Amino acid sequence: MKATAATAILALAIALPLFGQQGQRYETVVPPVRFAPVHVVIDPAGKPLAAYQFELKAIAGQVKIVGVEGGQHDAFRTRPPYYDPQALAHDRIILAAYSTDKDLPTQATRIATIHLQITGTIQPEFELNLTVASDIDGEPIDATITLQKGESK
Amino acid sequence: MKTLRILRIAIGLTCMTALFVALWSCSDGQFFTSQLETQSTTPPTETEELAETELAETTTKPETILPPGTILSSSPALKEKLGQFPESTTFAPIMADGTGKPEMQYPEYWKELPPGTFYDSESQLRMNNYALGTDGRVPTLAKKPMVLGRMFSYRTTAAPGQLPADLGYVHIDEVWVIAKPEVTPSAPDEDRPGCGAMLVKLPDEEKELPLPLKHTDVNGSIAGYIATVHVTQQFHNPYDEKIEAVYVFPLPQNAAVNDFLMTIGDRTIRGIIRERKEAEQIYQQARRQGHVASLLTQERPNIFTQKVANIEPGKQIDVDIQYFNTLGYVDGWYEFVFPMVVGPRFNPPGSTEGVGAVAHGKAGISGQKTEVQYLKPGTRSGHDIALSVRIDAGVEIEQIECTSHAIRKQQDDREKMTVSIAPLDNIPNKDFVLRYKVAGDRVKSALMTHRDKNGGYFTLMLYPPESLRQVRRSPMEMIFVLDCSGSMNGKPIAKAKDAIRRALRKLEPGDSFQVIRFSNDASQLGPKPLEVTEENLRKALAYVDSLKGGGGTMMIEGIKAALDFPHDPKRFRLVSFMTDGFIGNEAQILAAVQEKLGNSRIFSFGVGSSVNRFLLDRMAKLGKGAVAYIGLNDDSTTAVDLFYDRISHPAMTDIDIQFGAMAVADLFPAKVPDLFVGRPIILTGRFQGNAPTEITVTGRVGGQMHDITIPVDPGRPNAMHEGIAAVWARKKIEVLAMQHMYNSDPDLPETIKQTALEYNLMSAYTAFVAVDSSRITEGDHGVTVAVPVPVPDGVRYDTTVQH
Repeated sequence: MKATAATAILALAIALPLFGQQGQRYETVVPPVRFAPVHVVIDPAGKPLAAYQFELKAIAGQVKIVGVEGGQHDAFRTRPPYYDPQALAHDRIILAAYSTDKDLPTQATRIATIHLQITGTIQPEFELNLTVASDIDGEPIDATITLQKGESK
Repeated sequence: MKTLRILRIAIGLTCMTALFVALWSCSDGQFFTSQLETQSTTPPTETEELAETELAETTTKPETILPPGTILSSSPALKEKLGQFPESTTFAPIMADGTGKPEMQYPEYWKELPPGTFYDSESQLRMNNYALGTDGRVPTLAKKPMVLGRMFSYRTTAAPGQLPADLGYVHIDEVWVIAKPEVTPSAPDEDRPGCGAMLVKLPDEEKELPLPLKHTDVNGSIAGYIATVHVTQQFHNPYDEKIEAVYVFPLPQNAAVNDFLMTIGDRTIRGIIRERKEAEQIYQQARRQGHVASLLTQERPNIFTQKVANIEPGKQIDVDIQYFNTLGYVDGWYEFVFPMVVGPRFNPPGSTEGVGAVAHGKAGISGQKTEVQYLKPGTRSGHDIALSVRIDAGVEIEQIECTSHAIRKQQDDREKMTVSIAPLDNIPNKDFVLRYKVAGDRVKSALMTHRDKNGGYFTLMLYPPESLRQVRRSPMEMIFVLDCSGSMNGKPIAKAKDAIRRALRKLEPGDSFQVIRFSNDASQLGPKPLEVTEENLRKALAYVDSLKGGGGTMMIEGIKAALDFPHDPKRFRLVSFMTDGFIGNEAQILAAVQEKLGNSRIFSFGVGSSVNRFLLDRMAKLGKGAVAYIGLNDDSTTAVDLFYDRISHPAMTDIDIQFGAMAVADLFPAKVPDLFVGRPIILTGRFQGNAPTEITVTGRVGGQMHDITIPVDPGRPNAMHEGIAAVWARKKIEVLAMQHMYNSDPDLPETIKQTALEYNLMSAYTAFVAVDSSRITEGDHGVTVAVPVPVPDGVRYDTTVQH
């Protein structure tokens, strides 16, 4: 009996600190999650913008795309841009849209809003590349693209 | 010594503790939880659906429901019989008299059960529901005292390699069903379920208000044999507080859902395809934080759940779903079907992954993961439906009919027509079925293509050559295999015998035949097939008359007897199984069919009210034949006449397709079925090459080789359809999901998920989620309100819905 009791006490004495360490070591902190939009603006430099494609990449922070919305000009407002699912399956965000409207934007205009889920405390930073912008005849336009961060209201 | 012993024990304990800690550490503290998560979060498999048949009276007292795995029997015969099922089989018997007593005899049990009590799943579910029903579906010997369960379920997982590889290419939509129950349309009636006004009360709210799903708008367009359908569900919040709306709804089982839009006011947000679990997490986080969000998940290939979170009082949110699917085609008629309500499903005791049918306001009582709430008869929600389909047939539309709804037609020109549901027939409580016929002599095999950065995709609707109609069939060797097990006793065997008698009389001089019976063993009319003579037919009819039901269901013996003798090369061998298919070893049976089939074709008759369609559909598919279902109240002779009509012309068999300049890959189905008069087949695959070419189809017709040449131009603009890639990917997912049922390859779910993600498709492993991140609505996330639906037209609420 004495031997059994001694064994149990010894085992507990060895094991308890280890369990104690486990408890401390694996306290998990759930990273904060929030949702916020980013707005994409294209300036077609006076030319009528009929189609575009761009790629958005997060270079800092952890983001996931959770929705895509159209822009402010009627030509790009009613139908949201399409995303490339194959690119998305490999963590790339490639968006594109076209319009066959006669009335096309010629000045800087928000062409899309991307709804994002942001995980963690690091402020996301983005890299934005305009792959192509073209007019109604498919001719490339020397356009510029910019990003405006938004917040939930 | 004692000290040494204590030290040894201490070291041993220390080592065990250290090992435990190491395991814990290696798994980031998730060693145990991850195991649990794996079990609890496994996405549902791609499955076929349970028949939307009237279900059993399920008011059995809870205490009489025995847990799965319980076998209440001291009968050696029953134990022996149950032992024939795979090890993984579980049984959940419930006593027929509601007492759980094991003394009941078979005949009493049989008589007591109400008609329509049981049915099988007709599905490829991992868990199939088999029932002991009015037609004697009993897995044991009928004449011995035994314990009879009210139902039993089983779960089979065939050992790798046990199932024929071709089974992976068996799809329900490719199974040729000769006869199935007719659905009779009925006019709207104020007294029918689905009419009236359904009002609900929110907790702590006195006001009676309509429900959150206001209207569904269905807009379809058909080009050739591909339908593009937009389904817009209009959710609104008539309450004083925020709500989350949850709606379970059906779509066609071959629908390739590939787009999802959420509209809030004048803003439209395109949803994103995500891994299902990830999408669900995103949705829940957005919901908790007060964002308007929506989530579309797939519960079955034809059942979906739509959730819309944070709908503010008085606001409306629309959800638009787009899908593509191929139309059915039989005997010159195309068929467009839009299902409108999920029928009440039967779930075996012990299952939790099914789709429960519960009364409105009784959430959770079914114990199923997915639940549909049904309205009581005489009540309805304010939800109505508008449906419009524009047909561009490409050839003249000769006839059009709708068997389910009152319709309005608008003919645009000879090839184009728009059909819509009449405004008075706008209750979504039955499937919309539209059939149209195009000019017969102008129907030709048609290739449709789509090309994108991944290459080309095509579907080919391959019609049988017209010349088949002019040719009479060659002599055949007709083998009837009659299931004489105890479960067939009574009406089922009588129906089957009627069918055989009719079929025998329709044989022609030059044909030969054999009649085989099986139960515990197999025996037959003669040692070899008999020539069709008056005397032989008399003998056969007398033999058929003498057959009775009783004993076990050793179907494998019947298959051996039917397929194991030499094939007469001068005759086309057709094997016709007449059975209810109530067996648990489908994998073994199908493997035997595959192994022994040779040049035979299988044309089966499923007889009874609760036939194992899973088995019979696949036997027909593997056997390159067809299946007809004969209910207990159906006329067997009609099904037999249809069957003979189908086989009165030769089929084009042993088909080989050369695609010319098109370099084709990933073709589905991989094994091209036979071509019969009146029944085209649809093939879908990927290709490279853009030049006009000829597709050559070679096959055997009555012993002669025949060719069909189909000129095609893959680059022809009007042969292109944007939905073809989605249709192909959907078919690929279906094939993989079928393989996953029998194949434990852990890579299959990942392959399905990856395919669905890359093609933007709904699947069991993916979901669409849309979040409006630009705004946080005020207050809590609100109450969840399920959208109740009417029971389908003709289905009894009392006997199908748990309430």
